[in-house]
Amino acid sequence: MSARDRAMVARLLWRAGFGGRPEEIAELARGGLDTAVGRLLSPRGPALAGRPARVEGAALDSLNAYGHDVLWWLDRAVRTRHHLVERMTLNWHDHFATTNAEVGDNRLMLAQYWTLRRGALGSFRQLARAMTRDRAMQRFLSLSNSHRDAPNENYARELLELFTLGVNNGYGERDVREAARALTGFTYDWDTHRFGFDPERHDGGIKRILGRRGRFTPLDVVDIAVDHPAHAPYLCRKLWGYFTPRPCPPRELAGLVRLYREAGTGVRPVLGRILTNRAVYADLEAPDMVKPPFVYLAGMLRLTRTRIVDDQWRWRLSQMGQVPFYPPNVSGWEGGLAWLSTSALRARFDAATAVLGEAVEDGSIARGQTAGDALRRAYSATGRPWVSGRGRRALADFATRSVAGRDEDWEVEHYLPERQRVLRHLLLAGPDAQVC
Amino acid sequence: MAAGAPSPRGCRDWHATRRGLLGRARDVVPVPADALESLDAFARGGGLTRRNLLERGVGLWIGCSAVASLSTRGVLEAAAAQAADAPDATILVSLYLDGGNDGLNTLVPLADPRYQPLRARLGVAPESTLALPDAPGFGWHPSLTGLKQLYDAGKVAVMPAVDFQDADQSHFNSAAYWRTGIVGPSRETTGWLGRALDATGARDNPLQAISVDHSPDPVLASRRAPTATVHDPSSFDFWIRGAWDREGFVRAYREAATGATDSPALAAARSTYRDAFLVQDRLRPLKVDDEHPLPPAPVPYPDSDLGTGLQNLARMLGAGFGTRVAALSIGGFDTHDDQAPDHADLLSDVGDSLWAWQADLAARGLSGRVLTLVWSEFGRRPQENDSAGSDHGAGGLVMLVGDRANGGIRTEFPGLARLDGDDNLLVTTEFRTVYATLLESWLGVEAARVLPGIDAARLPLVR
Repeated sequence: MSARDRAMVARLLWRAGFGGRPEEIAELARGGLDTAVGRLLSPRGPALAGRPARVEGAALDSLNAYGHDVLWWLDRAVRTRHHLVERMTLNWHDHFATTNAEVGDNRLMLAQYWTLRRGALGSFRQLARAMTRDRAMQRFLSLSNSHRDAPNENYARELLELFTLGVNNGYGERDVREAARALTGFTYDWDTHRFGFDPERHDGGIKRILGRRGRFTPLDVVDIAVDHPAHAPYLCRKLWGYFTPRPCPPRELAGLVRLYREAGTGVRPVLGRILTNRAVYADLEAPDMVKPPFVYLAGMLRLTRTRIVDDQWRWRLSQMGQVPFYPPNVSGWEGGLAWLSTSALRARFDAATAVLGEAVEDGSIARGQTAGDALRRAYSATGRPWVSGRGRRALADFATRSVAGRDEDWEVEHYLPERQRVLRHLLLAGPDAQVC
Repeated sequence: MAAGAPSPRGCRDWHATRRGLLGRARDVVPVPADALESLDAFARGGGLTRRNLLERGVGLWIGCSAVASLSTRGVLEAAAAQAADAPDATILVSLYLDGGNDGLNTLVPLADPRYQPLRARLGVAPESTLALPDAPGFGWHPSLTGLKQLYDAGKVAVMPAVDFQDADQSHFNSAAYWRTGIVGPSRETTGWLGRALDATGARDNPLQAISVDHSPDPVLASRRAPTATVHDPSSFDFWIRGAWDREGFVRAYREAATGATDSPALAAARSTYRDAFLVQDRLRPLKVDDEHPLPPAPVPYPDSDLGTGLQNLARMLGAGFGTRVAALSIGGFDTHDDQAPDHADLLSDVGDSLWAWQADLAARGLSGRVLTLVWSEFGRRPQENDSAGSDHGAGGLVMLVGDRANGGIRTEFPGLARLDGDDNLLVTTEFRTVYATLLESWLGVEAARVLPGIDAARLPLVR
């Protein structure tokens, strides 16, 4: 196993998971990159490591307690052993973005999580069909109770624009309206909270959607959209974009589209090809993706082996700009460099302060610890993250400067631990830690 | 117009004739719908391509890189100099109502006989609306008591039916066009106010443009001019538990944040860190803690994200950081279902927050320098849907609020008798005309430097 294999697998776990500890990376890198990707695509063994989070001494109440839905997902990301499945669940949540701010029902949102997770690496067609019947989605995009007499266009529009074809990509206003007719008939009873389908409320007439004509029913619309020639390139390019910000070369896109179609809209082979592409591992010494806040936080908790014991992470994620179950709108999170602002970066800085907590108490480091010792210890406590040349110099300078001339007993007692705290903080939250 | 985008020539010609009419009249007179020419002549502008989508997904927030070469002190001095040089500089605030505000239920067209039939369930009862003294054909939604007070005092220029021709009903496209100030497919990643800063702003003062949020507002996205994102100036601090030597860790962070790199992501992480530390230094006087409690506002703001955001912004403007533009947004306006109660709550928040904001600005002696532009990506369809809500429409309602706003109804309402091919409100005024007016009459930036291909139309919005 070469250092380069290790560096590639480290990047793989940040982009296709939530970061990896050194021993996870070493274990996964043993057979080389292709083997590692294969194991991510077909994970075996238990999905989660360790015991579930407990907040204020009690198990999470993800259905009822405020914020516990978010902590529940965060805990799964922190403890996951099925890196790619868990990460793709988040990516699909971004793709089929549904917000509990509108749905207002944790039970429905958690059910949607499982729908996304079950379909994370499988057939997109099946996933899109499942999402059309998903109750949180039906409520969010006004699909339930859309009536033949006044079809609600919300879901029809987003199905074409965001979920299957891309904005203005091969469909027109007329297609949206006709698709909305075909999507009528779903019901929701506010008194009994039951979802259903009422053929009386469905428009059984002939519709013309994307050049096809027939008495289409709701799931027919999904099939028509997924069968449209513009769908496969749109989806493959979007999947590519989750793993690298570099443009997808046309030949590569053609290859992905072929794989996707051959596999009957299968996502797994497409991901396999993307994750073994050189573009994902280009410039290992100048990482070019910004870690999404949820990935950044879950990764910090993973790499420092920090357990979730309170609910502060809910509002910290909000300040960083990404709360799962609460995307800002139906097109998901803006992402990319837009994650970085003066305000969001301050929240990321604070999150590292919170992760470190009261680790390294005053008086816990004996006089005589060298700068090198201090650095080694800080690297080890933070999961040996990637650091740029500039970052290494800043760390080394601080390791020397921060204790220079501080020789009194009280100074040793405080400033050696302070040095350790700041070094770890820089490793967790410095500029280098924001990218992968 | 960006290369490759079709030029809507017909649109301009059409506008020119209408504009002649608008220019002569002090108050805009509704024109019979029959007088509107066909809108079919306009080439469909299309939307963003997949490639744009991908590029946008990657994001291009390079706003802060310009301060790389300056020391902290240099930046502080530059900012102070900018504020001192122009103590009376005008300020424009963008307030985005995210989701597509229902303009027809905000400024209700009482006199239009089609309104109640189209809004059988959703219609606002005429007797419940709040009167506009100079426009008996309209009434404010009953939740807008705060806004009505401002309107009655002549501080609200109201613009119904503002959008772009052949309006697009995608949130994504429409919001992108409004934010960039460019209609149709384009690769533009900057916002129209960000470009105004690129044209005339400072190269060394991130606080010249403030997004009051956790993430940068796209209308402020610039190519060169540095910008800041500050949600709350009371607590913009960097703190590490048990680190007594503050200067020590700040220096280490600053060192880690210097240097060039080929990675745009790493470059952005570094420059944003540098900016964040600068912003922290400047915001120190506004810090709130046990010894420095939050000074009370002259009028209590609503306890809402918008109220809090405007209050935070008023504090920053009051401190004199050389701010020229700021932006904030509130969501929830995509009211497809059970619109009535949600929309009422949203509007009362908007009206009451703006009222408190104006009072706060007046108490700080700033109300003559600040105009607030309230906009949304589109209006909603006149015909309500079957879910007691409304679908995406066209012709949104824009408002300009402030002491120097030219109060009154300032664009033409086309009426509901005739709608466009998608059964939406006809558009009488392009939003870029509003922007061009504000750039030139308020910010002192030549509109053509910011809005490619802008025509000569302007509106009487500022006094």
